Amino acid sequence: MAKKKEKVVDSGLDTIKSTVHHHSEFFDTLVELIPARFYLPDETERKWFPGLSKAQKARAKRKTTENLKKARRDRLDPEKSALTTLDLLKQKIEKEKKKLSNVVAEDDDDDDDDESEEETDGRKAKSDSVTYEELRQRLHRKIDELKGGRGGSERPRSHEKRKKIVPNKRKREKTVEEEEDKAKLDVEEAAKDLTYGYVKIDDDEEHGKGSKKRRLSKSRELERALKLEAAKKDPEKGEVIAKKHSWQAATSRAAGIKVHDDPKLLKQSIHKEKKRQEKNAEKWKERVEGQQKVRVEKQQKRSGNIAERIEQNKQRKIAKREKKLMRPGFEGRKEGVINDGK
Amino acid sequence: MGRFKNNKKGRVNVKPIAMKKNNQANVDHVTGDKIPKSFVFSRTKLPASVKQLQMDLRKLMLPYTALSLKEKKRNTLRDFLNVSGPMGVTHFLMLKKTASALSLRVARTPQGPTLTFKIHQYSLASDIAQSQLRPRCPPDLFKNPPLIVLSGFGTQELHLKLATIMFQNIFPAIDINTVKLSTCQRLVLLNYNKDTKLIDFRHYSIRLQPVGVSRRLRKFVEKHEVPDLRNLQDVSDFVTKAGYGSESEGDEEAATVTLSSDLGRVNRGSTKSAVKLQEIGPRMTMQLVKVEEGLCSGGIIFDESENGDEKIAKKKQNEDGEEEEGEEGSEEEMDEDLE
Repeated sequence: MAKKKEKVVDSGLDTIKSTVHHHSEFFDTLVELIPARFYLPDETERKWFPGLSKAQKARAKRKTTENLKKARRDRLDPEKSALTTLDLLKQKIEKEKKKLSNVVAEDDDDDDDDESEEETDGRKAKSDSVTYEELRQRLHRKIDELKGGRGGSERPRSHEKRKKIVPNKRKREKTVEEEEDKAKLDVEEAAKDLTYGYVKIDDDEEHGKGSKKRRLSKSRELERALKLEAAKKDPEKGEVIAKKHSWQAATSRAAGIKVHDDPKLLKQSIHKEKKRQEKNAEKWKERVEGQQKVRVEKQQKRSGNIAERIEQNKQRKIAKREKKLMRPGFEGRKEGVINDGK
Repeated sequence: MGRFKNNKKGRVNVKPIAMKKNNQANVDHVTGDKIPKSFVFSRTKLPASVKQLQMDLRKLMLPYTALSLKEKKRNTLRDFLNVSGPMGVTHFLMLKKTASALSLRVARTPQGPTLTFKIHQYSLASDIAQSQLRPRCPPDLFKNPPLIVLSGFGTQELHLKLATIMFQNIFPAIDINTVKLSTCQRLVLLNYNKDTKLIDFRHYSIRLQPVGVSRRLRKFVEKHEVPDLRNLQDVSDFVTKAGYGSESEGDEEAATVTLSSDLGRVNRGSTKSAVKLQEIGPRMTMQLVKVEEGLCSGGIIFDESENGDEKIAKKKQNEDGEEEEGEEGSEEEMDEDLE
């Protein structure tokens, strides 16, 4: 019975071994398909980086081309053995094992390779995990430092604000009344000092429109502006007047009313107006002259045409009369007796 | 549109978008007043976040502003002035970033006073939208000009009075008889703090919600979402279940209004509705620093640093005891009394 069991167990073990073997063969073939430079990490130093000088760059380039050529030659050389990915991988694993064993030999002086391997694996795992956690803690510490050192801004933090604070519902009924009273007080206080935008009601007219009837002519305004300037220069009250006027002017300008207080600008605009008037007067004169000319020309032409027509009519009549007397042998109208006696 | 004068220096390269679309009326058809229009621009190069702030300000001033105003390096203030005449632009908002400070200048064309504000802090509209759970932007939010509310400015100090008048005139006036409630959708709030002399600038969108209706019913009517009736025996349970009001309903007893007419489907006239404000748009903390008589020129009639100068002058007076400094000090004292 035991033997049978052993046999069953043995055959079970055998099947497991064969399946494992099949699997490993499959993976080996897969790995061999991948070229080594893609599968295994490249351990050569990166000799090229953007900060190299021209000469250094040229040297690096030459080296890489040489390496390429050499590698190609070796690959296609039948004498040299081609190392497949699998072989390189195995080499790498052996190297690592040796390294670990050396490390362990230094620390523990343990000869048993298997045990040391396990221990190193375990320790490696432990050291990995320790360093991993340590790293994570360090990272968090750094983040906090950076957060603190930045200087608190009043910018609303989005993730903090998103948590809605729902007050305890039972207590709400008591506090609602208190809050109502508070709100009323605040509102009353605030309402004392509120100013709103303009609202038009039909009753009051805006002051701007009312005073439009009293618009002075520009010359009058100029006089006023000059008077104002003179008043400003007055030694006694000049400052006062100047300040008051500037504030008044600024306020009314801000409200949209036009204030004419600069004599220079007023002079300019008066000058412009004069020029415009002159120009218009000239244009009018020209127009009138032109009309006259046209009229005169037309009249002349007309009278000329009339005179011509009269002339032509006369000539036609003469010609008609003369035609009757154009008999053969005669030269037209009698001009008197041939022998007149003179 | 009017023809622009070609400056001798160079052509005007300002291309406001109003040229291509329907020309906006200069004069409001209803009230007969001139509608104030504005340009928001900067003459210097701006860093990216300040450019976004400029864009936010432009959106704020919609619809009476040039949304895609293109300015070139060689455009001077003169060019903008020349264009603003025929186009009926009344206000300039200029941003300027120097090494020390970011400043906003609000000026009235053509000769008007210039108020210079120093911006201490600002937040962009996109930041504010990110910080909110449900940012709200209905499609026609920027089709109508905003309302403006100024708080804490008072009527005593001249420069503050000037600032209120300036801001009141940037936005067109509302005509009570003809205004539609649905056009009042935005609000600009300016709050002056006497102690720190800082002005808070906020921009909200207005929303009306009926009061006294349980939350479930309100949501159902507004959104037409089919409610979850799994746990209820009967539809009457859904309608009559005593639900908690919204969190802030108790606080806003004062913020309810009685509408004169219906607004939308939900808010019925002659019933109470709550006014809810949700912040959009940029947020700024600024300080009025300078007031100049002309457009970025002219005499300075108010200067925040004057108070500092007075102190320096007085110190000199104490140290040297010269007559000249004494006179200066007395003059400035006189000015202080006047202001």
